[in-house]
Amino acid sequence: MNKSKWNEKNKKKNKLTSRALYNEQLIKELLGNSTELVSKQVNLEEEESVTVVFLYMNGLVSQKLVQEIILEILLIDIGEAVPILSNKTKSKEDLYHELSIIANELTEVETIIDSLINGKTVLFIDGKIAAFSIDTKGSNTDRGVEQNTTQQVVRGPKDSFTESILINVALIRKRIKDPSLWTEQMVIGTKTQTQVMIAYIHDVVNEDLIKEVRSRLKKIKVDAILESGNIEEFIQDQTYTPFPTVYNSERPDAIAAGILEGRIAIFIDGTPFVLLVPVLLINFLQTPEDYYQRSDIATLLRCLRMLAVVLSLLTPSIYIALTVFHQEMIPTRLLISLAAQREGVPFPALVEALIMEVTFELLREAGIRLPATVGSAISIVGALVLGQAAVDAGIVSAMMVIVVSITAISSFVFPSYNFAISLRMLRFGFMILAATFGFFGIFTGLLLLVMHLSSLRSFGVPYLSPFAPYNSSDQEDAIFRVPIWLRDNRPKLINQKNIRRERSWKVNHKK
Amino acid sequence: MGKYINMLYAICLCVWLSGCWSANELSSITIATALGIDKSEKGFTLTLQVLNPNEIAGKEGLSSRTAISNYTESGATFFEAVRKLTKVTPRKVFLSHLMLVAYGESVAEEGISSSLDFLIRDHELRTDFVMAIVKDNTAGELISVLTPLEKISASKIYDSIESAQDYWAPTKKVQVDELVNSLTAEGKEAVLTGIYIVGNSEEGQKLQSVEQTKPLANIYINGIGVFNGDQLVGWLNEEESKGFNYITNNVKNTVGWVSIGNGKVSVEVKKNDTKIIMNQKNDAKTFDVVLKTVVNIGEVETDFMIMDQSDVQKIEEKVAEKIERICQASITKAKEYESDIFGFGEVMRKTSPEEWGKVKDNWSKQFVFAEINVKAEVQIDKSGMITSPFYKKIKEKNSEE
Repeated sequence: MNKSKWNEKNKKKNKLTSRALYNEQLIKELLGNSTELVSKQVNLEEEESVTVVFLYMNGLVSQKLVQEIILEILLIDIGEAVPILSNKTKSKEDLYHELSIIANELTEVETIIDSLINGKTVLFIDGKIAAFSIDTKGSNTDRGVEQNTTQQVVRGPKDSFTESILINVALIRKRIKDPSLWTEQMVIGTKTQTQVMIAYIHDVVNEDLIKEVRSRLKKIKVDAILESGNIEEFIQDQTYTPFPTVYNSERPDAIAAGILEGRIAIFIDGTPFVLLVPVLLINFLQTPEDYYQRSDIATLLRCLRMLAVVLSLLTPSIYIALTVFHQEMIPTRLLISLAAQREGVPFPALVEALIMEVTFELLREAGIRLPATVGSAISIVGALVLGQAAVDAGIVSAMMVIVVSITAISSFVFPSYNFAISLRMLRFGFMILAATFGFFGIFTGLLLLVMHLSSLRSFGVPYLSPFAPYNSSDQEDAIFRVPIWLRDNRPKLINQKNIRRERSWKVNHKK
Repeated sequence: MGKYINMLYAICLCVWLSGCWSANELSSITIATALGIDKSEKGFTLTLQVLNPNEIAGKEGLSSRTAISNYTESGATFFEAVRKLTKVTPRKVFLSHLMLVAYGESVAEEGISSSLDFLIRDHELRTDFVMAIVKDNTAGELISVLTPLEKISASKIYDSIESAQDYWAPTKKVQVDELVNSLTAEGKEAVLTGIYIVGNSEEGQKLQSVEQTKPLANIYINGIGVFNGDQLVGWLNEEESKGFNYITNNVKNTVGWVSIGNGKVSVEVKKNDTKIIMNQKNDAKTFDVVLKTVVNIGEVETDFMIMDQSDVQKIEEKVAEKIERICQASITKAKEYESDIFGFGEVMRKTSPEEWGKVKDNWSKQFVFAEINVKAEVQIDKSGMITSPFYKKIKEKNSEE
């Protein structure tokens, strides 16, 4: 049900009264008498029948904090240097005075419920047609900052984001101690009320980009946001594409680097994956570690990943095209060896390739879902199905096993899981094209792919830049990674203002 | 969206329409490696050598079958004969990996141009196979001979021609495009490599032949067949073939020897550069063949000191003399056949087209009377690991005893 309708329906009959116990009952009813809603009644001593009711959601609050606050608010402080609480409660006036400092006064029922859900403690006092909410948020559902599992590096920070948005933002603030790192908050999801924050460096980021991100986020009308993937689907430029146009990472250093380049990070409460926009195709082939290793190593590794793109996308289709259409292109000796292997195989090359590729995809999916304790079983079975046993059984040729293995290895090279999936999907299309038209089909497919890629935009930035449109100054951090002291400019297409980084001449060691 | 879905439909329909046009699974083709062309009453008799891949690269224990099998078919035209082969081969014949096209001597004597058209025209053939003439035997017999070491005899012949040309220079690797070029060029005649069988060609077809250390039949590459037009007119022997290669600047590396004193010195030719220049004095036309050759000393069987400049010079002169003699022998033989295989006519055409216009119609007759001087310049580069031969010392020791 839509939130505003819910409000209107309940507004009329759900009104606060001056009776604390009645208010308590009202809230309990609205929350369906959920068991984790805890209420505590206290009667003020001085005046008869002044009841104070505390309400909070068990599990969302810090028990210790709640106890402290209840005691501190209610009981008279008789200590001098150190606060020592007496066993007497405060007067009503003192209580109001205290609350006016530390609590917010709420009059609407729905805001009261919002604050309860957000881990606040709510007080009702007899004689007041309002509630006081005190922040007692402190959840034991948060885990600490742990080592990241999805984008591992050999050298570089090992911490990763957590499910708590505040910790996540803090991890970025720890890295960028600049007053111009601004954040904006919004709440998305009528039911989940998910906290979403965007973070950017104010004097670097393109104003239009902030406006665009803001407006796209505001347009989201949905009941639930459970993960950044939900947001990603709403804000991406084009839905019908296999390629991701929003970057996500678990690594605070990757997100911080993106923010420093003038991109915008989108934090979503409840997930360790933070989004970054806009993103280019080439960013999916770069890892944060590229910047921590020497530039020549990084450049070579990037070239290796480019090669992996080609291998992962085309190895099976090139094998099919060569063996079915273009036998004259295979060196004679290799052809003889291939022909000898294919001699006993009953299937056409395409079927053979599909069998092996689908088996591999199944294995891979099973490997992800399996609990770690039985994980070793899958590798044993996998080695049989995708190995010598399949060859000995006469179902596939030995070369096909090698082809599938090369494809598999190269699809694991990419630092981004979602980019690897895009290539996995396209691979099957290319296999069918290769089996139908040979190299002609493969190249037609590649042509269409390039056309599609150049039509893509990520928040208005051409997906293939800095190659198409070509931008010579951005080449310093595309395939090549020039030494950091040579890298003067931020990516041009992403931020049009304040392009120049601080000039950082290499330290002169000779002096 | 609807537009895209329609496009997708159209593309999908194309997939079925194509019917996997020109697709051939590896297991449905048979790889041909050699083609033998012989004469028959009707026209051509073709012998096709195809592979049995399992016998070459299979990992299971090899059976007693041969790695190659031959099919023979005759036809009135070349193409007809090729297509008729499908009657006897179990699968579609795949010609792209052809390595050798061999002509029987009798076909070559009659003329080879009628069979060349198909070899160039057909899209399936690559033009990197070698062409050769089988001396004395038929081409069918040649490609049926089993060879030790290399299971595919076509591949053995291909490699032998290549290495013989590169390290010994008694032959020339001729590919189809080069053959067609020299057949059609003005002022140049074609040549083809000679191949012959030594031993019993009948026995050489049996597996027992390669089951012993000395096969019952062996394939040798030697000599060059000289063409006049598209007809084989004669052969150059080994030395004359080498001379031919010297003149046409096709020597990469070879070995020769000269007599010095009472012994021999062998030299290895490391580099050779030949230029043919046409001189015109009044009406007389002369050709100068200028060779610049760099050699290394390979073997010394006499008391020769490399440190001695005069000795070095003596060898250089002797080697130059020998090269000149070889070249002249080759030229004499070619004149005998009235076939300008070296391309002197082409040199003339390039240097003085008017003169060429006068003689081109009966150049083969004119060529016989052309004056051709050969001038070789030899330079010794390296002498190997020994400077003074121990040959002399051993001799002295022997005489002491």
